[in-house]
Amino acid sequence: MTQAPVLKVEDLQTRFKSVQRGKFVHAVDDVSIELYPGEIVGLVGESGCGKSTLGRTIVGLEKASSGRVLLDGVDLSALSGAALRDSRRALQYVFQDPYSSLNDRQTVGEAIDEALVIAGTRSPEERDRRTKELLDQVGLASAVRDRHTRELSGGQRQRVAIARSLAVNPRVLICDEPVSALDLSIRAQVMNLFLRLQKDLGVACLFIAHDLALVRQAASRVYVMYLGRIVEHGSSKELYDRPSHPYSQMLLASAPEVDPRIEKHRRGPLMIGEVPSPTNPPSGCRFRTRCPLAVDDCAKALPPSRVLSPGHTAACTFAADLHRGNRTALVQQEMSAP
Amino acid sequence: MNMLNPIFARLNKMPRAALITIGLFVALGTFAPWLAPQDPSTQSLLDAGLGPSAAHWLGTDHLGRDTFSRLIIAANTSLVSVGSVLGVAMTIGILLGTIAGYHRGWVDDLLMRVVDVGLSIPSLIISLAVIGIVGPGYWTMVLALALAWWPMSGRISRAVAVSIMSKPHIEALRVLGASPWRIYFGHLLPGTIGAVMVYATADAGTAALAVATLSFLGLGIQPPTPEWGQMLVDALPYLESDPRQVLLPGLALTAAVIGFNTLGESIALNRIPKPLTRRMLAIRRAEVASWGKENSDA
Repeated sequence: MTQAPVLKVEDLQTRFKSVQRGKFVHAVDDVSIELYPGEIVGLVGESGCGKSTLGRTIVGLEKASSGRVLLDGVDLSALSGAALRDSRRALQYVFQDPYSSLNDRQTVGEAIDEALVIAGTRSPEERDRRTKELLDQVGLASAVRDRHTRELSGGQRQRVAIARSLAVNPRVLICDEPVSALDLSIRAQVMNLFLRLQKDLGVACLFIAHDLALVRQAASRVYVMYLGRIVEHGSSKELYDRPSHPYSQMLLASAPEVDPRIEKHRRGPLMIGEVPSPTNPPSGCRFRTRCPLAVDDCAKALPPSRVLSPGHTAACTFAADLHRGNRTALVQQEMSAP
Repeated sequence: MNMLNPIFARLNKMPRAALITIGLFVALGTFAPWLAPQDPSTQSLLDAGLGPSAAHWLGTDHLGRDTFSRLIIAANTSLVSVGSVLGVAMTIGILLGTIAGYHRGWVDDLLMRVVDVGLSIPSLIISLAVIGIVGPGYWTMVLALALAWWPMSGRISRAVAVSIMSKPHIEALRVLGASPWRIYFGHLLPGTIGAVMVYATADAGTAALAVATLSFLGLGIQPPTPEWGQMLVDALPYLESDPRQVLLPGLALTAAVIGFNTLGESIALNRIPKPLTRRMLAIRRAEVASWGKENSDA
């Protein structure tokens, strides 16, 4: 990729005040990611690892404690007020829950029209035309235009939400588990629609999900996040074939296989233990408390990111061994079940 | 007609007795000048203290004024004053409440402490203090009561506004780059008004009672304007000789207050099955009370 990244996140930190006095929840800790025009990048991790917070911080729904977000090379943290709103508009967010992300009092037409007004489309005829076009793009009949959003199904609502995000001509779309709240039958439809639109419009997309199969299918690159940090990053193929961080290995191993014969012989532990509290993260490597490979050194310092092959990095002392296949986090515990 | 159907459907779920009482009160209050058969202020000492007759359906008071007409005009007085009190109080409350709910932080803290102070002083005492300073009169009373009333609606508006602001559809607007004005006037304010207006019904009864109380004390509506509380105090010296003159305005006031309270309660408990019976209301209350119990067990 020789192009300049459309979105560049540098050492982003988001901290929340903890209920414990004087302490902070380190929801996102020194995360740096890049998105290039037109690509889909996955962001995976367990619940509570900070993936949603990262997405929300990028679009400005949470306040970053430090770090920068650069959109087309423009530092958003240097802007404020109307200038910030205008620049940040190119970053859009698709919410997980389509039931609460639309105002029940509005009709579909009003919701999309409002987005167009916000984006500065003055002429009513132009807005009318764009609304029709957008509804058509997301595969909704123009008849739904006058329906209230509360009358629609989850799948239809998510389509409206996508249409509304697209109304402002975004350059980057951050999708926070956009289909996980939908019925399984609707999921594939909405996902396919989304992939088609993404391709047609060339929008870069950060796809936050815990459905690993979905990310594998959609994303060209994947970031793996654990307890507020990126632990591994690589192309989809590399990462799924040769996961090189113990956490990624265990995460991938814990995803169920469709084929029962493979599923039966699947090795490795299902993820053991709980995610430690982000208020008091473990010293050194954050995964060491659950890592079967952990040694004393892991507690001392944060393992640096190791480049394993071009574009594939993992933050683990043993990353090189894991990558070569000399070691694995999985062999240590055979599945005890028959 | 189709547009009215949802309204009818909703009304059908409310207690019928209360609905009829309040409907009658509002209708009488609105059209009082046309409905009152006689001038409520015309005195005729020759006819003073008469019982019901064809000329005076509910008799006359000690000055010979037609009681029926006075009761109807009093409904109008009551309706207008309660409406203005709630209108002013709601406006102040909703404005300050939504501002607090929108901004949060120190603005919220400051406004809510003011509300706390307001809520901690009984409303009648605030009203009495204001009237004591400005002097009795119709608009003084409305203003005094509004001043005592707004903290409650402010508190409710703030709670509603906070819950609206935390909804993803507001976040979606932020991400779209909507201006604060658009979010406040286009989404927050309409949503809050809709939710808070419901509480106004529950408050109307108490407000009607407060208006009557102040008038009874001679601090609110001044004679000769007919008002229930004031009719009560007028007739009080003749309680033994002519108890009807005390009972009638008392009953009217009681019906209005109970009507508003029941209606407000049914809205709050949402949907008491019709028609309202004591048993049903008791069951409903027991159920609501048990919610609290479950929570304390958990």
